Amino acid sequence: MAGPRVNGNSKKRKAATEEHAQPEETVFSHNVGLEMQSEDEGSEGDESDNGEVDEFPEIDPRSDSEADEEYPGDSAEDEEEDEDKDDEEDEEEESEDQSEDDDISDDDLHIFPKAKTVTSDITGQLKRVFPPIEPDYDSDSSTEEAPNRVGNIPMHWYDELPHVGYDINGRKVLRPARGDELDKFLETIEDPNSWTSAFDKKAQADKPLTAEELDLIRRLQENEIPDAQYDPYEPTIEWFTGKGKEEIMPLSGAPEPKRRWVPSIWEKQKVMKIVRAIRQGRILPNKPKTASDKAQFYAIWNEEPSAHPAPLPAPKPRLPTHAASYNPPEEYLPTEEERKRWEETEKEDREQNFLPQKYSALRLVPAYNQFIQERFSRQLDLYLAPRIQRTKLQIDPNSLIPKLPSPNSLRPFPVYKSLSVLHAKTRVRSVSVSPDGAWVVSGDESGNVSLWEVIVGKEVKRWKFDGKVGALEWCPRTDVVFFVVATEERLHFVIPPNLPAPVLFATQAVLSPANLPPAPATPSPVKWTSVSAASSSSEKPILTIDLPPSSGLPKQIAWHRKGDYLSTISSGEGQGGVWIHQISRRHSQAPFKKVKGAVQLVLFHPTKPHFFVATQRYVRIYNLAEQKLLKTLQAGIRWISSMDVHPLGDHLIVGGYDRKLCWFDLELSDKPYKILRYHSRAVRSVHFHPTYPLFASSSDDGSIQIFHARVYNDLMTDPLIVPLKILRGHQVNEGLGVLQIKWVPRQPWLVSAGADGNVAVWCS
Amino acid sequence: MIPASWKRYQLSQLVNKALSLPKPIPFDFLVRGEILRTTLGEWCAEKGIGEEETLEIEYFESIMPPQRMSSLPHEDWVSSVSSRLSSHFLTASYDGQLRVFDYSQKLLRTVPLHDAPTTSLAIIPSDLAGFAENTHLIASASHDLTAHLTKLSLSDSSDLPSHQILASLHLHTAPLSSISANTSGKHLLTASWDGLIGLWDTLVPSSDEVPLEEPQGGERKKRRKLGDSENSKPKRKAPLNVLKSHTARVSRALFAPSGNQAYSTGFDSTIRTWDVENGVCLSTITASAKPFLDLALTPSGTSVLAASTDRTVSQYDIRAPESAATPSSATFMHSGTPSCIAVPASGSEHQFMTGAYDGVVRLWDLRSTKGAVTSFKVWEAKGGGKVLSLDWGNGVAVIGGEGGVEVWKANQGDRSVVSSN
Repeated sequence: MAGPRVNGNSKKRKAATEEHAQPEETVFSHNVGLEMQSEDEGSEGDESDNGEVDEFPEIDPRSDSEADEEYPGDSAEDEEEDEDKDDEEDEEEESEDQSEDDDISDDDLHIFPKAKTVTSDITGQLKRVFPPIEPDYDSDSSTEEAPNRVGNIPMHWYDELPHVGYDINGRKVLRPARGDELDKFLETIEDPNSWTSAFDKKAQADKPLTAEELDLIRRLQENEIPDAQYDPYEPTIEWFTGKGKEEIMPLSGAPEPKRRWVPSIWEKQKVMKIVRAIRQGRILPNKPKTASDKAQFYAIWNEEPSAHPAPLPAPKPRLPTHAASYNPPEEYLPTEEERKRWEETEKEDREQNFLPQKYSALRLVPAYNQFIQERFSRQLDLYLAPRIQRTKLQIDPNSLIPKLPSPNSLRPFPVYKSLSVLHAKTRVRSVSVSPDGAWVVSGDESGNVSLWEVIVGKEVKRWKFDGKVGALEWCPRTDVVFFVVATEERLHFVIPPNLPAPVLFATQAVLSPANLPPAPATPSPVKWTSVSAASSSSEKPILTIDLPPSSGLPKQIAWHRKGDYLSTISSGEGQGGVWIHQISRRHSQAPFKKVKGAVQLVLFHPTKPHFFVATQRYVRIYNLAEQKLLKTLQAGIRWISSMDVHPLGDHLIVGGYDRKLCWFDLELSDKPYKILRYHSRAVRSVHFHPTYPLFASSSDDGSIQIFHARVYNDLMTDPLIVPLKILRGHQVNEGLGVLQIKWVPRQPWLVSAGADGNVAVWCS
Repeated sequence: MIPASWKRYQLSQLVNKALSLPKPIPFDFLVRGEILRTTLGEWCAEKGIGEEETLEIEYFESIMPPQRMSSLPHEDWVSSVSSRLSSHFLTASYDGQLRVFDYSQKLLRTVPLHDAPTTSLAIIPSDLAGFAENTHLIASASHDLTAHLTKLSLSDSSDLPSHQILASLHLHTAPLSSISANTSGKHLLTASWDGLIGLWDTLVPSSDEVPLEEPQGGERKKRRKLGDSENSKPKRKAPLNVLKSHTARVSRALFAPSGNQAYSTGFDSTIRTWDVENGVCLSTITASAKPFLDLALTPSGTSVLAASTDRTVSQYDIRAPESAATPSSATFMHSGTPSCIAVPASGSEHQFMTGAYDGVVRLWDLRSTKGAVTSFKVWEAKGGGKVLSLDWGNGVAVIGGEGGVEVWKANQGDRSVVSSN
């Protein structure tokens, strides 16, 4: 027992002494529960006045004292030891101690039977002999009354019985008499302690609470420490300090290290680092609290459950079939060849990992020696094989193709070669279809120009010119009929035969007027010579224009829509060789003083006074009326080979020797709206159909590609370009394929001139 | 019940027995618009037809494979042939000449009709007064915008000139594509590229009806030609009527057998029926995107066959009331552009012949649209060529075109009825 206990006891004793005024005798006489202090006080009471004890005649004082002193003996002795340490407290305690001393002496007398020291008969030495314990009622020192010994049982078991249990000797403890309600009431009136009494279950009677129990209740009510003996404010015990308790000797003899008395440089540096950081504001000592500093809480169950599918279960092993039976049907048994084959195949390649075998009885089946191996491999399967649901990107390649209308819905367009006209042993460079769509002229490199019907293909007339035919073109006018053939440095205007007389006269009047217009003031290097109308015939050209010498073979003839102007490009060197000839005035002019780059192609705009000039890489649009450059189109083609403008005039297609075909929306941009690279060789010629929404491109790969090209008046709608058909039929000759294509006006037919000498008509 | 393993031969024997013909005739058989080439069982298996079903089988007299009889060489392409003149062949060529051959391939006459290519010729069936024996009236159309009426004498007597151009027909402003006469020989129809159809009578006028146009200072000036009319000069003749309705080239115009109506077709994908007397278009059959190249009446006279540049020959019912978009009742597919159709003047009413630019002449049966009954290639020795004209009658087919003229023997099958399985 430690010190605190001592004080506790002394305090209680003070309380006990104060309570002496109350009639404690009655209290203690009823006391059944054995408590230390009640025993103490009871013992005091015993000693103070005996009259009270007399009320219990059957209990003799000896047994009483014995019963009283049985438990507190230890504590009393402890207290005594404690008191030894600090005894001088005050006088009351002394008196208490005195009384305790009495108790102790009493204990010495009574608690344990007095051992007599006798001389042993056997050993002859002294021995202590205790008196024998008499097994009578008094020998039980546990209680003075007849306590109920039924234990912790539900007491209603005894409700029907006259007794409430048994004492230690098996005698019934009778139920104490209980008055009726009126008695109880009177008792509460009479007895001032009745409000502090409680029903004792064991005794089946009301017992007043002891002062300690009341104190306990009070403490609990006032939220104090329930244990009255516990002192939270104990004085500390100075074990090592104080006088005479100083430690004099050091624990170690080592000299003091330097760091004990020299301030640490490193520490200083570290501190200074922090100080500097604070000064520079890198560390904020008192960081202002922000919203993000607050603890954030999440309602973790509020989230939607994960949409991920549960992990895939492992595939189940296949169920055994008849073949795995110990007694399979005959047809499952392998033949010799099957057995041999099975044994020869690799283990991994076998379809089955066993051979069916037949046993007449199940007990004859041997142990399966592959069992462990199979289990193991199965475990490996389950363990190592990843089971992920792979979301494989399944793209149907067809779905990537943009939705285009079916070519069948865009009929008519040329699909087959109806006929072909052969120019023997030469290349047909140019071909042209008359504006009424009935006649074709085709010119080859040996100077032959033949005129033939579109649909029959019979050559009706043939002209022979000197040198190659570079280009030829029908006049787009419908009131006059003639065409222009370009040979070396010369343009020939030819009237085809079998014209109705009015048309013939009109044509002659246009090409060879009776009275020539006045010659221009400045002499032009271009000479116009014509045969008089009377002597003209379809055999010879009625009008010839001599281009300047050394201008070379004209590559292209471009007519203006109205058929009065035509432009030619000469392939020779010098100032590009672009000439614009006016038939009515019989006058030629070079529109460009100097041209950047070699001019490849020219075109008249169908409706506006615009002029397209294609150099090797760019297409420039000039306004001829205002004489200025409007726009430069960048096709992204290294070498432009062909060009055509849509009949409405807002769209331009440009083909290049680098296989590209560019579609320009002139309203949209300088850059191509669409680049089509479908040819495997250089694009040679492109042409828009004058009336049908079609255009075609021909290439050195010998193919012609037909496209549907629908142009909308609505500026917001993009042109619809649908590839329709690839026409093959021309032979590639010395790397050259289809050199020129022309649509037949009014019909969805195409005329193509090939390097193999064939001019083909493709019909729908 | 007929065994499924039977082929044409067994069926033909059966029909011969049933008809108890004194001399066996080979027959061909049509099953559901298709000529039977295999056994019946195979045919059923191919079409997925159960053998329990009843099949209607039509038979017609087999057509012997056509045989080439002779070749009539020409210097230029032959644009039109005719075998309507008994025991003679007439050919019109792109060199403007009319040639007359007899059956022994002998060139009897060479008549220079036009300076420009001749596109079409027609024999006017007439017994006109003043015409001697063996004298015929020939109408020819040409690229020179005129058609000519020519008197052709085939008699050997030398007192008469062998030919005389009686009249030139002036209407068109574009080359003519066809000319045809009615059965009575009174009227002519010319079709031209300018979309006009001219109706003419065959009377030779005594004087020019149309003034000659001369160039005069670039203006058209009508001036009556001074009137020393020579007999040798053809008279200039004006049309009776002009049928205007086509919007593009008219490729063929021909009379109905009755003579009151005419049919025409052209590049505007229409087939028009005309009232000849009033010059009114009675009805129009409009196909879509089918420029027609040739037209022929079927022997029954109830429908027309039209060859189109989309490699089809289509059959249209002309009895149908005037309505838009009459669908074709049958379509015969070709591998080349069909250029001409020939229907025999008499005999079979279901068969016709077509010539195409691929040099193949096909013989069709109207009931069998799936394939030609037979076909043969002309000018094989020259490597083929376009067939431009075709005439078929009396078991002889005359084919004119790029390689000249070839004569083939091609019999017509005869009529038949139905047997069933």
